[in-house]
Amino acid sequence: MTDQIAPTLLEVQDLEVEFDTYGGTVHAVRGVSFDVHAGKTLAIVGESGCGKSVTVQSIMGLIPSPPGRIVGGTAKLRGREIVDGETIDGDIVRGSEIGMIFQDPMTSLNPTMTIGDQIAETLQVHRGFSHGQALARAAELLEMTRINEPRRRARQYPFEFSGGMLQRSMIAMAIACGPSILIADEPTTALDVTIQSQILDLLRDLQQQNNMAIILITHDLGVVARMADEVAVMYAGEFLETGTADDIFYSSAHPYTVGLKAAMPTNRDESEQDLMPIEGSPPDLFAPPPGCAYFARCPRAMGACQNDPPPAFQVGSGHATRCWLHHADCPRRIEDLHYAAPLEGRDA
Amino acid sequence: MNTALSFAPVVADRDVEVISRPSLSYWRDAWIRLKANRRALVSLHIIIMLGMFTVVGPFFAPDPSAQDLDQISVPPGADRTATIVAPYAPWSGVTVATPGGQGSLEAPVSVSLAGEATTQAVRIFWDPVPGAKGYRIYRNIAHPAPDDALGMPLADVLVPSRVSFEDRLDIRPQEYFYSVVPLDRNGREAPVYATLGVSATRVITAAEAVERGLAGSSADLAIGDQVKLKMHVLGTDYLGRDMLSRLMHGAQVSLFIGIVAPFLFVIVGILYGSAAGFAGGRVDQVLMRFADFVVALPFLLFMILFRILFKIEGGDSGIAPMLIAMVILSWPAAARLVRGQILQIREEGYISASRLLGAKTPYLVLRHMIPNTMGVILVTITFAVPSAIFTEAFLSFIGMGVAPPTPSWGSMCNEGIKTMLTHPHELIFPALLISITVLAFNLLGDGLRDALDARMRS
Amino acid sequence: MILYTIKRLIQGVVTVWFIATATFMAMHSVPGDPLMDDKAVSEAVRKNLVDHYGLDKPIHEQYYIFIKEMVRGDFGISFAQENRRVNDIIREHFPISATLGILAIVFAGLGGILFGALTARYRNRMPDIVIMFLVILGISVPSFVFAALGQFALVKLNAFFGTSILPVAGWGTLSHMIAPSLVLGLGTMAFLTRLMRSSMLEIVSSDYVRTARSKGLPTTRIFLRHELRNAILPVVTVLGPSIAAITTGGFVVELVFAIPGLGQYFVQAVQQLDYTVIMGTTVFYGAFLVFMVIVVDLLYGLIDPRVRLE
Repeated sequence: MTDQIAPTLLEVQDLEVEFDTYGGTVHAVRGVSFDVHAGKTLAIVGESGCGKSVTVQSIMGLIPSPPGRIVGGTAKLRGREIVDGETIDGDIVRGSEIGMIFQDPMTSLNPTMTIGDQIAETLQVHRGFSHGQALARAAELLEMTRINEPRRRARQYPFEFSGGMLQRSMIAMAIACGPSILIADEPTTALDVTIQSQILDLLRDLQQQNNMAIILITHDLGVVARMADEVAVMYAGEFLETGTADDIFYSSAHPYTVGLKAAMPTNRDESEQDLMPIEGSPPDLFAPPPGCAYFARCPRAMGACQNDPPPAFQVGSGHATRCWLHHADCPRRIEDLHYAAPLEGRDA
Repeated sequence: MNTALSFAPVVADRDVEVISRPSLSYWRDAWIRLKANRRALVSLHIIIMLGMFTVVGPFFAPDPSAQDLDQISVPPGADRTATIVAPYAPWSGVTVATPGGQGSLEAPVSVSLAGEATTQAVRIFWDPVPGAKGYRIYRNIAHPAPDDALGMPLADVLVPSRVSFEDRLDIRPQEYFYSVVPLDRNGREAPVYATLGVSATRVITAAEAVERGLAGSSADLAIGDQVKLKMHVLGTDYLGRDMLSRLMHGAQVSLFIGIVAPFLFVIVGILYGSAAGFAGGRVDQVLMRFADFVVALPFLLFMILFRILFKIEGGDSGIAPMLIAMVILSWPAAARLVRGQILQIREEGYISASRLLGAKTPYLVLRHMIPNTMGVILVTITFAVPSAIFTEAFLSFIGMGVAPPTPSWGSMCNEGIKTMLTHPHELIFPALLISITVLAFNLLGDGLRDALDARMRS
Repeated sequence: MILYTIKRLIQGVVTVWFIATATFMAMHSVPGDPLMDDKAVSEAVRKNLVDHYGLDKPIHEQYYIFIKEMVRGDFGISFAQENRRVNDIIREHFPISATLGILAIVFAGLGGILFGALTARYRNRMPDIVIMFLVILGISVPSFVFAALGQFALVKLNAFFGTSILPVAGWGTLSHMIAPSLVLGLGTMAFLTRLMRSSMLEIVSSDYVRTARSKGLPTTRIFLRHELRNAILPVVTVLGPSIAAITTGGFVVELVFAIPGLGQYFVQAVQQLDYTVIMGTTVFYGAFLVFMVIVVDLLYGLIDPRVRLE
């Protein structure tokens, strides 16, 4: 890892989450482990439905239970276990320790409450502020998130705000109690590109000011390249590859990561080649495949991949991947796969 | 794991997800989903059964207006036996010598029954009370507990020497309690009484039995024989009419209005709404404003006004006025719905796409507009049926709907409520039928709405 | 909001005018002279009425007189009851109907919101199953059956306890109002419960409730400030039409419980062909309902900022 000095805030080990549905049990998260460090950004990247949102929502104790339940693993916040039976003890994490913002700011705010009140109530509940104090603080927070005329804006309702402003308000709400971790679940997906950029800048500035850790959920490798210190590539409820942003972009160790990169548009002139889609679709999580989850779509599938789940191979310091290509006996190497040129740099 | 790892390349079967399901038409798909909804399916069966009850039933049922005077307000399953007796013969009564006396009046020492208590007559006599100038006789169907009502005053016997009374007033085969109260010289009741409980048995004369078709000829019947009266599966009403038969004929009225009215006003609504929707602009605005006005009319009040407007005469059933009034007042909801649908569908991408491919308006209407609004319309009709049935029942109940000789569930309830405390079956059966019908249509409507909702296709 | 209120009031006045015109037209399409076959009208009253309403004048002049009197708030004199003004009849009997109706709507609204929230909270568990079963019954049973059953139950209850727990019929004290307003509100309550349940279920799984939970708010606060308030909105929108249904539905309850409300009077007037009472009551009821719908709409504006501020 790039910076070992940063203290570990959250340690998640072998987290498993299931949902009971009418169709059967969905194995949404199948044993993921990750650490979150103060002041650093962990990006969890993957396709829709791969379990990234479920992972962070279960950390927040937001998984409705029933039907959802944590069936295995541990999660420690500053060394304190927060998994409590089949769910997370939400009272510890929510609001004051971990803040969260969501994908669609338009629907994520209560339409019948003013923005100011919605920010203020967090402070009233967790910090014991009076309503007046909390409202004043809410206006400050709105100012911090670069909203003009924060006092007037605090008295307005969500329908009077634009999408970008709503997401800023969401951020203001999430950081109101000074959480050590901010979870951003696809924070820019619903916004247009210029607003996206402003929101990402804002998140990074706030992170630097408060030494806050960010868990960033996204399917956009561009956002990952811009924001992440560490990256976890998620597929079918598993982390297929984890490492620093550099590891993931420059020395991708899993065919899926390679495939994702190849499917991403770049703006470099010499890349004349077509975008390469990944054929097929993710496996059914009602009955996960016995071997590697990516087997059915993998261009380098081998006999071993079909029925034996690959263990996590360490391919560098803090860089691990679940792919049989890294087995000592495997005659072939991941380098064969790098048909798409790696990205130039992450501050593009 | 390490024992037999194979690193030979394999080509995985990419087509993990093949579209293997057959493509289903909208209606077939909806039908399959409706069939999966047990409540809706049961409701559909109930509705079909109700239809049979209404259409086929009356062929097998007795005349709904025929009165069975031997069995009035009889609950279902009641004893139907009647004993043959001799024709009625007058009774001379009991007379005694007038006992003198002064002071306060006592209650009669005892009240006794003369002969048998039958539905033909109940004859009672009592011990004379010294000093009484007459007696008042009460009848009740419950024992007059202390301080409780003695019941209905039957008669005053104003001859002091006469100590008997013959009751022939509408006697039913049940228990009666006769109370005798002595009267003082001013005709005032003494605060005392004596009570006799009797149980009247149902009797019939041989001639009556023959006349009602219960026996071949009077020669076959001897006094004391038992005959069975006519069978009434669900009992009879307060005029002795067969409940089942009236329910069946009432269903014809209630279901006819309940189903035909929604059909008619939905058709009017479709025409009006699609005219507004297609015309658009000012025409649309004016048309819909008018619809808003009609909605604002107080519905039930105007339903009643229409009754005056049509001047229901003696022989009229009142069905047609009710139908017309319902259509006049109810079409705007359907019109609004259809207009909204058409405006919405007109903007849909697939309409533009179809138009780009060269589709003409008739094709668009037939292929896209109608199929896509049919579901909503069908659901509307289904939900309109219960409310139409309610309206009919409500109006008939307050006596503003179907005119009396014609049975309808609502008017039967209206009649039944008067005898609710003594003969609850006269209210319960029509009320139950209304409730079951409305319930079935509501549940079917729920099921249809879910089944026809394109978003629910899976 | 003020502009909206004014707009709604103007719309309301136009609607009442439409109702009055429709009533006038309906009554004047009745074949024959309204005074013709009414034995209850004495010669003096008859002449008075003919003069007053210009019944011998052409129809458009009659309409003009009718509307003019209506605007002045004068509904005229009863045909059937000598020297009784329609205004007096309304003033005397409408408050009874209104009290009954308002009690019933309050009961239906509170019950509907409470039970709807309850069923949503215990979705697919025992309280939900039991209440929803009762709701389906409540929607399917006509109001007069409830009225009859309610009265029947009261009779039995009073007999069982040997005293009069609640009066079986009549009007006057609060105890007279309880049973009929409960019975009257039952159907609407069932309907509102159903609406509230589906609205609540939608909101419980909404994004902003998830946000509220992510903020670590206590469950009761989430319920009161985020779920309940938003879930009530669709219930409030149907409250207007519900008032219409309840006030006219009150006729039956008035009949069964022998309550001297305006509904009973209206039915009686129709039977007696008391034209002025019929017209006056219809227009009055219509105006009342239009007014109530406006009030409910304005009330909705107070709860929903999206409406209030536009």
